[in-house]
Amino acid sequence: MSTTLTNIHSRTTLPASLIVAATEIGGAILLGAFLLAESTPLVVALLAVMGALFAAMQYRPQIEEVIVAAFHDARGLATALAVAIVLIYPFFLGGNTYALHLLIVSLLYSVLALALNFQLGSANIPNFATGATYGIGAYTSALLAIHLGWSFWATLPAAAIVATVFGFLLGIPSMRTRDSYLALVTIAFGIVIHQMLNNLSWTGGPNGLVGIPAPSLLGHSFMRPIELFGFRLPSQANFYYLSAALLGLAILSAKRLHESRVGLAWNAIRADELAAKCQGINVVWYKILAFGVDAFLAAFAGTIYAFYISYISPDNFTFLVSVTIMTMVIVGGMDNTLGVILGAFLLTMLPEKLRVFSDYRLLFVSVVVILFLILRPKGLFPQRQRHYGGQR
Amino acid sequence: MTTPLLKLSGLGIRFGGLVALDAVDLTVAPSTITCIIGPNGAGKSTLFNLITGIYRPTSGTVALQGDPITGLPAHRIAARGIARTFQSSRLFEDLSILDNVIIGMHGRTRTDVLTALLRPAKSRRELEACAAEAETILRGISDELFARRYQPAGILPQADRRRLEIARALASHPKLILLDEPSSGMDDRDTAALMADIRRVMADNPGLSFLIIEHDMRLVAELPDNVVVIDYGKKIAEGDFATVRQLPRVQQAYLGQKAVEHA
Amino acid sequence: MESLILQHLLNWLVLGSIYALVALGFSLLFGLLNVIHFSHGDVSMIAPFVALGSLQAIFGITGGAMGVLPILAALAIAILVTGLIGIGADKLVISRFRRSPAMMALVATVALGTVIRELIRGFYPQGSNPKAFPAIAQGFLEIGPLRLPAQPVLIVGTTVLVVALMYGLMQKTPIGTRIRAVAEDAATARLMGITPSRIFAFTFFLASAAGALGALFFASHAGVVRFDFGVQLGLIGFSAAVIGGLGSMTGAILGALAIAGIESIVQANIADGASYRLVFAFLLVILMLCLRPSGLLGKPVFEKV
Repeated sequence: MSTTLTNIHSRTTLPASLIVAATEIGGAILLGAFLLAESTPLVVALLAVMGALFAAMQYRPQIEEVIVAAFHDARGLATALAVAIVLIYPFFLGGNTYALHLLIVSLLYSVLALALNFQLGSANIPNFATGATYGIGAYTSALLAIHLGWSFWATLPAAAIVATVFGFLLGIPSMRTRDSYLALVTIAFGIVIHQMLNNLSWTGGPNGLVGIPAPSLLGHSFMRPIELFGFRLPSQANFYYLSAALLGLAILSAKRLHESRVGLAWNAIRADELAAKCQGINVVWYKILAFGVDAFLAAFAGTIYAFYISYISPDNFTFLVSVTIMTMVIVGGMDNTLGVILGAFLLTMLPEKLRVFSDYRLLFVSVVVILFLILRPKGLFPQRQRHYGGQR
Repeated sequence: MTTPLLKLSGLGIRFGGLVALDAVDLTVAPSTITCIIGPNGAGKSTLFNLITGIYRPTSGTVALQGDPITGLPAHRIAARGIARTFQSSRLFEDLSILDNVIIGMHGRTRTDVLTALLRPAKSRRELEACAAEAETILRGISDELFARRYQPAGILPQADRRRLEIARALASHPKLILLDEPSSGMDDRDTAALMADIRRVMADNPGLSFLIIEHDMRLVAELPDNVVVIDYGKKIAEGDFATVRQLPRVQQAYLGQKAVEHA
Repeated sequence: MESLILQHLLNWLVLGSIYALVALGFSLLFGLLNVIHFSHGDVSMIAPFVALGSLQAIFGITGGAMGVLPILAALAIAILVTGLIGIGADKLVISRFRRSPAMMALVATVALGTVIRELIRGFYPQGSNPKAFPAIAQGFLEIGPLRLPAQPVLIVGTTVLVVALMYGLMQKTPIGTRIRAVAEDAATARLMGITPSRIFAFTFFLASAAGALGALFFASHAGVVRFDFGVQLGLIGFSAAVIGGLGSMTGAILGALAIAGIESIVQANIADGASYRLVFAFLLVILMLCLRPSGLLGKPVFEKV
């Protein structure tokens, strides 16, 4: 029955599978070119290409609609192709360890941005402490590994539980405070955590924690390169696959929560808190829940970061880190998973790729952020309406 | 005698020194329509806010089918079966018309975070069933709303906003629906359709009652079984419209001094 | 013993004065715009750099002892320039978010703060290094039996004067009435012939100038200034304004004194207290907001239904 549909479709436009393949492969190539670009003119040229793509979508919204429709029609292909691309990507980068490193950090920031998106994007709850819960996760797992000899895999859930408890604690003031006042509570919480990490002796003070042992899986240490079919991938590839798996998990969670009663309740709170209450939504609980979910995911990212770098210090988890995560969500597009991930990738890679501007790259990125907020206030990809019953 | 659906006894609230509502008694029987009338600022919306738990009463009690619900949080009261609309309609503007109705079903659906994450099929089935029911409700209220169900609620004109709020209220399968000035912003045809809608909904849902704040006298004359007049935070009269309208103190309070002289 | 207590007392009042000057700006702007101008601390922190720059450029002073006149002139220039930069920040960036959700304005102003810091770091000569900042007054004052250091007295005294002037301005002058009218309802104010854009400009000037004075005092009190000091000063000023109740001038002052108080107490009584003072200050913020969600003097919000 779907053949007829596809036939009608193909007579008028391109077949969905072709659009999906072109979009995914094109995106992967663009990302790869950007990661590998060494010369400034090339980086600028690639940015210009991306800018042009978004300008095209700004003026012709149908392009986005066609692509979204194609991805809906060819869901299976889209997922399979995406997984395949993620799996072979390190080979494509040809052992460039710096590119792999950038990719890992981008993936982890994508997870953090998706975590914050449950609050900021879905429910419009400000949280300037995602950096702090990220840090709590990282420190918990690092301390467990260094002092108690726990393996990476055991610290992962432990860190998530500890961070979630802190997340719930942080959520409690949201019962009574709102908007700017709640924003300040989270800012204060973030600063308190950062200052404690900085001052306590058992967290290593400003020097942080060193010598976090590398994880291993089935006897394969993550310190060692991956050797497969005669190919040899640098040791970073281990963490690349780990981070990619975590992002996959985060995307799946985001999708499932969004397409459920919980996501709807968060959206209702975002739109009108009082009207939400009158629909039977326990606003207080859903707000605290959003804090918990955010902390849970952020702790996973923190744990992977700690084991990847093997060294953490309070400076990795400052107020400005939280603000950066927030900016990723807003620039990418609130409550749009793809947008949020794109925002995280762009804001992680842009300052790195603009190293030639050395001293002025932070300045440049901030100016770009302000321009973005003015010119495309709904983000790169704005939120979309839900559709039911196989409809799009 | 059967238990009344809603019973207010001595309900009142003070904001600082100001008595906004003072010792209001009111009983709503099942399957009835009660209209609350009174001048602007008389305390009608405040009464709604007390019943639905937006404000906490400083005195008196509210009972739903004999159970006390005084001072319960708003979401618990909504889950007990009291749905409402707002004077300045409060829709979830950036969500689709369909989602607005589905959110109305929150109180009687069960998916929590763990179910959504670990048993997606169950969660999706629940939501699909809600969507199907929401479509039925929308079709019943207005074909046009149904046709536009995937558009954001924020773009609707005033009359459609009111209809959508009623659809959202119905979605919770309430025992009592509170409508706050449902006909404001409607022309005569819309108002007639609104009255027909209310009657049809009552016929479809045995036991369901309406409590309606209204200014439109045609609606007040035709629709309700019982009319309650509130002025300066006090209930000053109650009965059927024909009787109530004759009372001098009602005419003075509600229709103004001029009307009394003409009568 | 007595002199120690006196010293702590003065320290508290000096910190309180500095924080109050910054907090007042937050409160004024929030009352008017309902947005948090997160770069307020960074805008304020431009002032010490302008002061240093003008001392050097106009008077050729790079350090050491200096006369009263150059200092006063440099301070005046710094306050004026910072006030104008405040207006510029509004016109260029903040004004574009008047109708946007509060969170966007917040993120935009955070980015604006980064822009300001990076501009100082990148374009001020050796901008990334800390700069020594001269004391604005030296020596001691003899008041009866008391012998007080001149600079703290000057800071506290000036702050009291400035705050009194601001109260007078807001309550007793036509411009103050207009500011309050726009804060209450910009549309109606426009109907009454008030030009909101001018009111916004004036308020931004006032808030930034007060913040500039706070930052100048901060720099001379600490004896040093660095491009990123504005972050912390801004956060504390913002906290003071929120604890006090956003939109309330008196609240902002009380909040500033509360935060300065807890910092002084921690510093005076706990060994190693200096490194924990921010922890306690911000724990106080959390505690206060849990107990009084709209601040000390903020009006509790009754949502109209």
